[in-house]
Amino acid sequence: MAKRSVLGLFTEDQVDEAGDAMEALASAGYTTNEYEVLTGTPYPEGTFGEAEPKHKLFRWPLTGAACGFIVGLLLTAGSQLAFPLVTGGKPILSIPPMAIIMYEGTMLGAIVFTIIGIILESRLPRIFMGAYDKRISDGYIGVTVTTEEDRIPRAEEVLKQAGAGDITRGWESN
Amino acid sequence: MASHTDNGEYVEGMYVPFTSPSEVVNDLVNNHAKVSDMWLRGVVAASILLVLGIIGFVMNVVEGVSDRAVWAYYALMFSFILTTASAAPMVAIATRMANAHWRRPISRVAELWSAAGLFSLLLFIPMLWILPPLNDGRRSLWFYDVNDAFFSRVPIYSPHIWMSAAILALVALGVVLLWLSAMPDLALMREHSTGWRQKWAARLSKGWIGSTGQWNMLHHRMGIVGAFYFMMLVFVHFLVSTDFLMVLVPGWIDSLYPLTHAANSLQAGVATVILTMFFLRKFGGYEDYITLDQFWALSKLLFALSLLWFWFWFSSFNVFWYGKKPSEQAVLGYLMTGAYQPAFMAGFVLSFLTPMWFMMWNRVRKSFWGPAVMSVSVLVGTFFDKLRYYVPAWSVNDVGIVQKIGEPGAAHELALDNLPKVNMPGVADVFIVLGVIGGAVLFYLLASRLIPPINIWEQKELVLYKFHKAYHRTEVMVLGKPR
Amino acid sequence: MQDHVQLSQTKINDDLLAGVLGMPKWWLPTVVFLVLVIFTGLGAYGYELNKGLGVSGLNRPVFWGFYITNFVFWIGISHAGIMISAILRLTQAEWRRPVTRAAEVMTIFALMAALSNIMFHVGRPWRLFWVYPYDFSRGIFMNIRSPFVWDPSAVMTYLIGSSLFVYVALIPDIAVVRDKATGRFAPKIYGVLCLGWRGTPRQWRLQAIAGILLSALVLPVFVSVHSIVSWDFAVAIGVEGWHSTIFAPYFIIGAIHSGVSAVAMIMALAVWLWKLDKYLRPDHFDAIGRLLIVVALTWFFFFFVEWIFALYTLEGPELALREFQVFQAPNKWLFLAFLLTAFFIPVPMWMFKRVRRSPMLMFLSTILVNVGMWLERFLIIIPGLARRQPLSFDWGTYNPSIIEILIVLETFAFVALGMLLFAKFFPIIPIFDMKEGMEVREEIKIGRRVVPASIRETP
Repeated sequence: MAKRSVLGLFTEDQVDEAGDAMEALASAGYTTNEYEVLTGTPYPEGTFGEAEPKHKLFRWPLTGAACGFIVGLLLTAGSQLAFPLVTGGKPILSIPPMAIIMYEGTMLGAIVFTIIGIILESRLPRIFMGAYDKRISDGYIGVTVTTEEDRIPRAEEVLKQAGAGDITRGWESN
Repeated sequence: MASHTDNGEYVEGMYVPFTSPSEVVNDLVNNHAKVSDMWLRGVVAASILLVLGIIGFVMNVVEGVSDRAVWAYYALMFSFILTTASAAPMVAIATRMANAHWRRPISRVAELWSAAGLFSLLLFIPMLWILPPLNDGRRSLWFYDVNDAFFSRVPIYSPHIWMSAAILALVALGVVLLWLSAMPDLALMREHSTGWRQKWAARLSKGWIGSTGQWNMLHHRMGIVGAFYFMMLVFVHFLVSTDFLMVLVPGWIDSLYPLTHAANSLQAGVATVILTMFFLRKFGGYEDYITLDQFWALSKLLFALSLLWFWFWFSSFNVFWYGKKPSEQAVLGYLMTGAYQPAFMAGFVLSFLTPMWFMMWNRVRKSFWGPAVMSVSVLVGTFFDKLRYYVPAWSVNDVGIVQKIGEPGAAHELALDNLPKVNMPGVADVFIVLGVIGGAVLFYLLASRLIPPINIWEQKELVLYKFHKAYHRTEVMVLGKPR
Repeated sequence: MQDHVQLSQTKINDDLLAGVLGMPKWWLPTVVFLVLVIFTGLGAYGYELNKGLGVSGLNRPVFWGFYITNFVFWIGISHAGIMISAILRLTQAEWRRPVTRAAEVMTIFALMAALSNIMFHVGRPWRLFWVYPYDFSRGIFMNIRSPFVWDPSAVMTYLIGSSLFVYVALIPDIAVVRDKATGRFAPKIYGVLCLGWRGTPRQWRLQAIAGILLSALVLPVFVSVHSIVSWDFAVAIGVEGWHSTIFAPYFIIGAIHSGVSAVAMIMALAVWLWKLDKYLRPDHFDAIGRLLIVVALTWFFFFFVEWIFALYTLEGPELALREFQVFQAPNKWLFLAFLLTAFFIPVPMWMFKRVRRSPMLMFLSTILVNVGMWLERFLIIIPGLARRQPLSFDWGTYNPSIIEILIVLETFAFVALGMLLFAKFFPIIPIFDMKEGMEVREEIKIGRRVVPASIRETP
């Protein structure tokens, strides 16, 4: 069965109601993968009762640094050995200049891979937004449920009971 | 709007565990009143080391002050104390300026090292006789040129005057800072303790009643004295690294080195404070105050300073290496790649590679043993790094110096092919190394009997500004920023 | 912050998107003027390309003039962006919030301006690509032992790193623009640019980590870039006044001095041009003013140490250079102007709280600093080259031509235009950062005093 999404919109003052909605969805049998809260500003972690998001971001800078280091080493050592010309009285394999360029390569690798990691670990790019409301940027709080189509009406009921104002489905009017 | 009476429950690792000022006072005053076994053992051990140091000093005095090479290790240890103990108060000064609340339990731990500054002043006195005067052709930063009419009118002991004034000022500022910071706690002890401690506390805290004006003045004065201490510390490092080190090596002109010397001292100062914190937590009964937060924050600082160590070293090295000037190649050969290479490698590995590699990982930074072990590494590395500078510099005599044509007696460069031999430590030198470390630790331990190592009034202040509260479905900490 | 204005999220959106969703009256004429200046400068460059470097003032022995001075100047300006953003993020200073993006964007355009100066400066720019690491059809790789190869590696790393840093931190704000923009294409384009951002806790958590982690990664790059640029000069033994080990930290602290001043200038302009006085409060100017005092004093100490060690050797050629720099016209006027504008006028001004809290006075004092720092780079480079050799018949002078002046002006116009265009398409003050600041702000009542506080997450 295809997945659909539904969004329950709460006002800026309804932080606790949004948290109640999340609890009610959990009690109604929805898994933590199926519902989440959308906000226009970062709230302190756990404000809505959500668990700490687990991520493996720290693999990325280390991998990137290692790649950058190796590329830097190959480039500097390789270019010096490929055309072994003495310049400025320096040895063929001159360590200080190699260290500088390898260091830049390492940092570039770490930064680029970190950026990729942040984007991917944020589950971006997200091609299909699903249920979303522009008012979230104005401070509204959205609780969204993404699940099979036949479970959507029950989710809508739970959100309504928790006090959501507008309830919209994904792909419907925006 | 929250009120300061909305205090939450104690949370592990978050600053002060107590929720009222009187609890803080009772706990800390009672802790300080006891003389622990570990303290006594520390004093005995440090005293034994100091006695050994005095024996080593006397052995050197017997040989006289005419041969600088005999005093090389003495100069090394003078610089080492300046680098470690005198820089430790910077941890308190800088963090207070930045208004970082995590510094509160450890600011006095850092400031107490000013007491060891008195010891460094004692160590400095013999240096005045050991350092050669200017009229034998030794270069000086004060542009003394025996042939120049103007400069020769400058007193020939100018480095001695400047350095004496600078180190006196540094030690005085350190002691004043310690006294200012301790004043409210001494007033507390005036009320709460007994015996000689009560007597001295009353003398030193005369007139302190805790009025608003007095508190404002205290913060103001501590800020100014702290800023001057920092400037004086940089100045002292500048003087020691040039007039007591660089000018002794002909041909060594490194404009960055005074700042390298100062930056390395910041790193060593942080390491000193971390190690002191570790001992106080383990043996002093201060586990509730010196928590993971302090270790985590200082280890981040130590990590950054270790990276800076490399940057300063590489900046000097790259310019020397690339330029290929014979004088600079000789200096590199003498101080780094020649006979003293093992000392250089030890310093490089222990002051930079080890801290960088291990403190990169948050798990190491956010622990007790991690920063403590890294601090030991940094301190040992600092010792070897200073060794490879001071010992060769003080061992340069007439051997191995290129005489400039037409200027007999004026030495301007090291001879690359005939560098002075390595100066291995003798028995006296080992005694001096141990004695100086023992002496500094002894001064610290003795000072900590009068002045409590944990800053009581700053802990009480924190109770005003920090509490936990429920925030919807989670708990947050609220931290006030009064200034 | 002691003076604080609490604003709602809608109000923040409206205020900070006013420049993006609308167009202030002054924007278009300013852009047109800047484009004209740029075209004039590029026209001058085209003339130089056609006729050769002889149309500039460069000649034996002063081979490096305005272009290299300008190059070092813009590298210097680029440093403050990341320094302010990264260091203030790592120390969790609340006053950084409105300032970070403008500083980071200035970094990017300043770096581009710096790189363009290299193109203007080399005699055969069609060979610039020879720094790229490949050897096909040329038969040789670039010489990695040369500082001129270290430079592009460092500057490109810094440029790429800063650009990506700005982009990642911009994603949540692009999402706000997506939600508020009207028209057929704008919401779709912004939607693609923000990669479908929705504002889940996971995404916000990674944003927070990104800020800290990238700051920690970019800071070492920032330190290395200007060190490497300084080594273009310091490793050379042939030019008096250049072979000094202190150049790396000296250039960096000079860069921070000029860059932080530039950020203060931009803050003042933001208050006047985009009416952002509710976001850039006197407290922010005060904070940056106090930072500037510390930076300026540190810079002056490095300057002093550099001079002391230059004179220390009492060597003839070095003394001749210093005498030329300080006592002979036209350098003596430039030297005096440099000292006054870079240090002796602004720093005493900044000692007064009234000056620090005034956008106008901060704007004027920081312009002076940047004039002074431009002159500082000039005085390091040109007099040294003019006195390269010990034999005086080889001594030379330098007279900049109109071509060089137009090109230098073009770089200033380029950076200004870049920032204006950025501010037109993206919010120049970080929206989510400001909203977060409002959210985590608390107040503690102690007796009759209300103390500002902030909320921190418990571990």
